[in-house]
Amino acid sequence: MGRPLILASAPLAGARNRSASGDLRRWRVLTLAPAVAIYLLLALLPIVNLLVMSVHDIRWEEGTARWTFVGLTHFAALPADPLVRAGLLNTILFALFSVAAEMVIGFMLAVLVSRAIAGRGVYRTIFLLPILIPGIVIGAIWKLMYNPDFGIINQALTAIGLPGRDWLGDGALAFPSVIVVDIWHWTPFVFLLLLAGIEALPQDTYEAARVDGASAWQELRYVTLPMMLPTMAVTLIFRLVVSFKVFDEVYLLTGGGPGTATEVVSFTIFRRFFTEDRAGYGSAISVIVLFLLALVIVLAIAPARRRMREA
Amino acid sequence: MKAHRGIAAVIACMAALALALPALGQTKIPKVVPITVVINQSPWFASFAKAVDAYEKESGNKVNLDVNPFAGSAEKQRASVRAKEGQFDLLVMNSTWLAELYHGGFLTALNDIDPSFKLDPQVINFDDTAYWDAKNKRNSSKTGVVYGVPINANIGVLYYRADLYEKAGLKVPQTWDDVAANAAKLNSPPAVYGIVQRGARSASDISYDWMPYLHGCNGAIFRDEKAGDFTVTINSPEAKKALDIYVDLAKKYGPPNPGSYGQAQVIQALVTGKAAHATPVIAAWPQMDDPNKSAVVGKINVAPIPHCPGAKSTPTLGHFIGGIPRNIPKDRQVAALAFMNWFQTYDAQVIYAKAGQPPIRKDVYDAPFMKTPEYRWAKAVADSTPNAKMMYTVPEGPQIVSVLELRLNQALIGEKSSADALNAAASEIHDIMQKAGYKTGRLPDLK
Repeated sequence: MGRPLILASAPLAGARNRSASGDLRRWRVLTLAPAVAIYLLLALLPIVNLLVMSVHDIRWEEGTARWTFVGLTHFAALPADPLVRAGLLNTILFALFSVAAEMVIGFMLAVLVSRAIAGRGVYRTIFLLPILIPGIVIGAIWKLMYNPDFGIINQALTAIGLPGRDWLGDGALAFPSVIVVDIWHWTPFVFLLLLAGIEALPQDTYEAARVDGASAWQELRYVTLPMMLPTMAVTLIFRLVVSFKVFDEVYLLTGGGPGTATEVVSFTIFRRFFTEDRAGYGSAISVIVLFLLALVIVLAIAPARRRMREA
Repeated sequence: MKAHRGIAAVIACMAALALALPALGQTKIPKVVPITVVINQSPWFASFAKAVDAYEKESGNKVNLDVNPFAGSAEKQRASVRAKEGQFDLLVMNSTWLAELYHGGFLTALNDIDPSFKLDPQVINFDDTAYWDAKNKRNSSKTGVVYGVPINANIGVLYYRADLYEKAGLKVPQTWDDVAANAAKLNSPPAVYGIVQRGARSASDISYDWMPYLHGCNGAIFRDEKAGDFTVTINSPEAKKALDIYVDLAKKYGPPNPGSYGQAQVIQALVTGKAAHATPVIAAWPQMDDPNKSAVVGKINVAPIPHCPGAKSTPTLGHFIGGIPRNIPKDRQVAALAFMNWFQTYDAQVIYAKAGQPPIRKDVYDAPFMKTPEYRWAKAVADSTPNAKMMYTVPEGPQIVSVLELRLNQALIGEKSSADALNAAASEIHDIMQKAGYKTGRLPDLK
């Protein structure tokens, strides 16, 4: 009697389990649905709208918007646009140079502060100051500092017998000058993330290394660096994405000039989209930038993942 | 005795009439709903705000000012006119975005609000920009109707150091050759540069600065914009001559890296005494004689903008027109028009001029106070304004300016020759006009 009962109860239990797991799935779907809906509304809809706009020409007549489907015309025009070309190239160079410098300086500062015996809080506060200053103020500060007539940089150079330079007006100096401002502005952010990472590293690994007779350099090279790779990868990706979107520093310091020396793609989008009121064409540039950013993230993650696996 | 009585009666009547006339001439301001004016924070804003204060006091009507940076004002106006119901009742529109609002059909003809409204005959014409011919899509006082009232008479003029001129015994320049000769004599870098130009690339710097050279050498962007002929002539020999003069002045007598000088830097060079000549807009004038801002108070004077031999002085309009959007309720339109109707009166313009800005009425320039040294800029503005021209009148204007900003800046900083820069500009502008469906063409490339 028992066997059939057992046999009968097994499918019953399975059915109960399936039913429970179905309920659980439904519950999960139901509870997640509002969040997913909000996400779709806030994140995906604007992107869909951007895609739709990028294949249209939008003109205003009689107070009404007239949308004309133009297919891929806007995308086809992008390679011939001198501002888009210069903007993309400069943005890539800007991201590479500024983020590389910020990662190196930020890491060095983080290591130094983590090893400071006293005054760690003071150092941390001082190094963090630039990130607390609003972008508009940073633009004003550096514009004054770079001023060829009364800027503090030229005054300092003159004081030691060197000639002053037109930091933002000289085509050869303007781009590096803007990169310096970005490094000054964003290194504290890198420093903060990396310092948090270093301070969270397990101390017993260091103790083991010291017992094995590792020097300070070996500790850094074989203990700190490999263990910091995940934090560094996240920081790098975040900074690359943000630096790809650089706008305010260029807007405030050079306006993209002289010539196209400091033109960056966000500024090109601003010009085409808003100043020239070309919503369709501006959207097409935005779509390309979106694609490139996704590519940057993938390319940045791949080697970091590989290294983490190796480590 | 009877005759004497008769004469006395006539005199009494005339006296009564004379007393009554000003009162009759004054426009009675109706009581209307509050209005919101969207405006930019330009150097002339303080004068406008004073005029608004006077209006509120005189009429009892309320005017709210929504004050923004220049680009911010354009953006807010754009957003407001495209909404179902507009936020702003009076748009203070700069000449650079006027075409967009006219062509987009966002404004109301003022006679649709009040059929009896008329632009005062004393109001300066400003290249017909207060009129719009909606059928033919062009500004024309002949075929169009009134859509706006000028708010500010901003144009480019030649600022020069009168004290240095006097010391060197120089004459006020008429042509660009005269400017070059005088700049050569006054050029003493780095203390004083012979000329400081607005050569930066931005939304509108170098193109605005160069436009009087172009028009003043008989060149133009298009063959006949007003007649609808949009053949691109920006690479004509006249345009090349204008660009060569501009670049030559910069190279010989300008500061190093003139391609980074925007309007603010030019004004800074003037007030710090570093510029012997410059051509910013007249709205910058109050800073020249402000002891808190200027090291050369009383030492600067202005003249009509120079030109090439055989051409005439042609400043570029940087003026503002007040317009009323069509997407606001009628009572707010009526209220906005009541303000503009008052603003164009002689008394309102005297208040505006006394606050330091060029009036929009011709007769105010003849007022005695405008002849005093404090207003030594007035004659140059009055003489220049009738010839002043718009940079463009098509909604594609900002795209055209974007092309010019890049190509002119490249010529100025030596990245391109003037011929190459203008050929590139011609090709790109032709492309813009062709895509937008205009009757267009272009000249053969310059060698």
